[in-house]
Amino acid sequence: MEGWNYKILDIDLSAKTITEQPLDEGIARHFLGGRGLGVRLLWDLVGPDVEPLSPENVLIFSTGPLTASGSQTSNRFNVSAKSPLTGGVLHANSGGWWGMQLKRTGYDALIVRGKADEPVWIEITTDGATIKDAAHLWGKGVFETTELLGQDNNKRNVLCIGPAGEYLSLMAAIMNDRERALARGGPGAVMGSKNLKAIVVAGKQKKNQSADREQFKFMLYETGKLLKASPLTSQAFPEFGTSVVMNLINEIGALPTRNFQESQFEHAEKISGEHLAETILVKNQACWACPITCTRISKTEAGEGEGPEFETAWSFGAQCGVDDLEAIFEANMVCNDMGMDTISVGNTIGCAMELAERGLIEGDLRFGRADLLMGIVGDIALRRGLGAEMADGSYRFADKYGAPELSMTGKKLELPAYDPRGMQGQGLVYATGNRGACHETGNMLGPEVLAIPRLIDRFANQGKAGIVANHQDTAAVVDSLVLCKFTNMVVSVEFFARTLSAVNGSNFTADDLMKVGERTWNMERLYNLREGFTKADDTLPKRLLEEPVAEGPSQGHTVRLEGMLEEYYQFRGWDEDGVPKQKKLIELGLDAMVD
Amino acid sequence: MIDERLFEQFRYIGRDIFDAGLTSSHGGNMSVRVGDRIIIKRRGAQFRRLKIEDFVETKLYEKDSGVARASTELIVHREIYLRTSALAVIHCHPRTAIALSLSRDEIIPIDNEGSYLLRKIPVVSVEFASGSREMAETIAEALQGYKIIMQRGHGCFSIGETLEDAYQWVSALEEVSDIILRHQLLGEPLIEYRKHSDSYSKW
Repeated sequence: MEGWNYKILDIDLSAKTITEQPLDEGIARHFLGGRGLGVRLLWDLVGPDVEPLSPENVLIFSTGPLTASGSQTSNRFNVSAKSPLTGGVLHANSGGWWGMQLKRTGYDALIVRGKADEPVWIEITTDGATIKDAAHLWGKGVFETTELLGQDNNKRNVLCIGPAGEYLSLMAAIMNDRERALARGGPGAVMGSKNLKAIVVAGKQKKNQSADREQFKFMLYETGKLLKASPLTSQAFPEFGTSVVMNLINEIGALPTRNFQESQFEHAEKISGEHLAETILVKNQACWACPITCTRISKTEAGEGEGPEFETAWSFGAQCGVDDLEAIFEANMVCNDMGMDTISVGNTIGCAMELAERGLIEGDLRFGRADLLMGIVGDIALRRGLGAEMADGSYRFADKYGAPELSMTGKKLELPAYDPRGMQGQGLVYATGNRGACHETGNMLGPEVLAIPRLIDRFANQGKAGIVANHQDTAAVVDSLVLCKFTNMVVSVEFFARTLSAVNGSNFTADDLMKVGERTWNMERLYNLREGFTKADDTLPKRLLEEPVAEGPSQGHTVRLEGMLEEYYQFRGWDEDGVPKQKKLIELGLDAMVD
Repeated sequence: MIDERLFEQFRYIGRDIFDAGLTSSHGGNMSVRVGDRIIIKRRGAQFRRLKIEDFVETKLYEKDSGVARASTELIVHREIYLRTSALAVIHCHPRTAIALSLSRDEIIPIDNEGSYLLRKIPVVSVEFASGSREMAETIAEALQGYKIIMQRGHGCFSIGETLEDAYQWVSALEEVSDIILRHQLLGEPLIEYRKHSDSYSKW
């Protein structure tokens, strides 16, 4: 197949039709797959007049040209839609097995549109797809649904929503392989709005074969060599999981604490990867074709399951002033079973805690109340009590109580676990993120903290915009191939280009791929502009721009966004309002997209 | 104009390049991309003794008065930024690598570190070896596939996200070249220890 099947499965739940359409070869080369292909299809399918939770919105599940090839971490897939949380472009990706299995059914992507009259689930095999009654599954949690539909990691894989998606929480995730999440921006709510409970894939097709097998083996070997040589991917992640960075981020004064009021958490060690390994960790685990094995399997009296990842340990931990790792893990499990984004949920709870401490809402919520975490997570999922209001995310919640400035969001998406006052580049990543403020779309953790590929001055501003833009484009490449970003902490885009060349049989250079990344980024920007976003949305919470960090290694710093943003627009070839110039659009082959 | 934090990077890297013997007192140049501008060492400034006034800021997409003081190779730097995702460029004259470039079309490391970092360094040849359009296009095109390349008989061009990136590749190239030279001087056959090493020439 040499990377692509050139087939898209198209299911209309309103019309109850199942069709196939070709994947255009030109689009495949220009956008690769995953996130790039997702936004390109979304541009045509979902215009500005479409409400995110209406039948006219779509879900686009997309794999990439390396998916199921056996190349390291080639298990991932992407979902795209219009976000009900931000109102802009939504893209989220996940590991596990499901993406690999979808590719093996013979399709590169799946489009789901319309709305079923009653709850349904979809089964896709190499023989095609069928729409089935899901009455017996509606209302059930992710864990039970996954089991009932016959999850078998190597043969049959389940993707579904939990009650949070059914109740249309704007923080609802789509879950796959039981505990993996397509999390950010509320894709679970879009799925719930379609009365679609689950999608099961059972592929039998041979794996994605390479055109040049010798070169592919060479690239596997060279990539494997680097992954083994790196202490990050061969020791830190396998041993301590992603939470290995908890203490590091805290030490430099960039760990947001108590709703970003502080940048160091006095109990960070108790929620760190090291402490996790000493206490509740049962074992580590890997996604398909991944040698890194960063997944944590943990256990408490409440049960056994995946997590917590760094972001989750932070969101329910430092963000809420909680140092009880067991309580954090249990809140994580409820989130997974209910199907919710742990970053957004924890961040929103932290916001509610500050509102309560300031007397703006009533109730017992206070920073440090670990005992309340599981309950409030359940309330959010099922829209009970205060949870009914929190289910729509931090911004709408804080706004309702007259304090939107206490919502730590960018474009209404909840910020993750890095205080940008201690990482200036990360601040620019958040402010300019197309899907909202998120680290995954250009994480500066590598250069600003971990010295990957090398350490740069985290408080510097001049010259930062280009590095940020390059990281954003690189992330878009990785999300379009679709691979895990942890490989990219060790292996450069040059390696991905050579691996893709081996799989496809034609030559791709690193710069070809970077151009795909830049094209994808600009396409997303165009999508948001069409939705009415402006330069004013490229910003950060007032707290981060105006309140200097009070103490610690980042003391005295705010995010100096204005200068970086100007340099960023210039670097991107955008005008002073952040609109891509015609020259840039022509260069990227996107000029036909706009009038 | 250039701020203190960025100038400090130029100053340290310039000093290190000269101290490592990777260029002569005034030879070579380096630049970074900032937004839609280039900050580049001025023509004739000494690598070892850089001052803040030794830097020229000029536009990336069009010419301006900055070209009057900029390095002779500005045209090459500009073309590299236009054609690649580089944010920093270093050009200097590593001696052993230049010597090797006179008799081969590619430099393939035989040592472990060099193999990891570079795998292969192509050697390109141009008639007018300094500041020409032909040179700019040839070098920028070669750098689309590699992070450092040699121009035969002249020197290397190295790119990265930071000056330190680009410097590392230059430093590694000269070490690679020195090891090749020493191995050849020994005159003993190479005992291959790397699996798939025959594939490096196809890199």
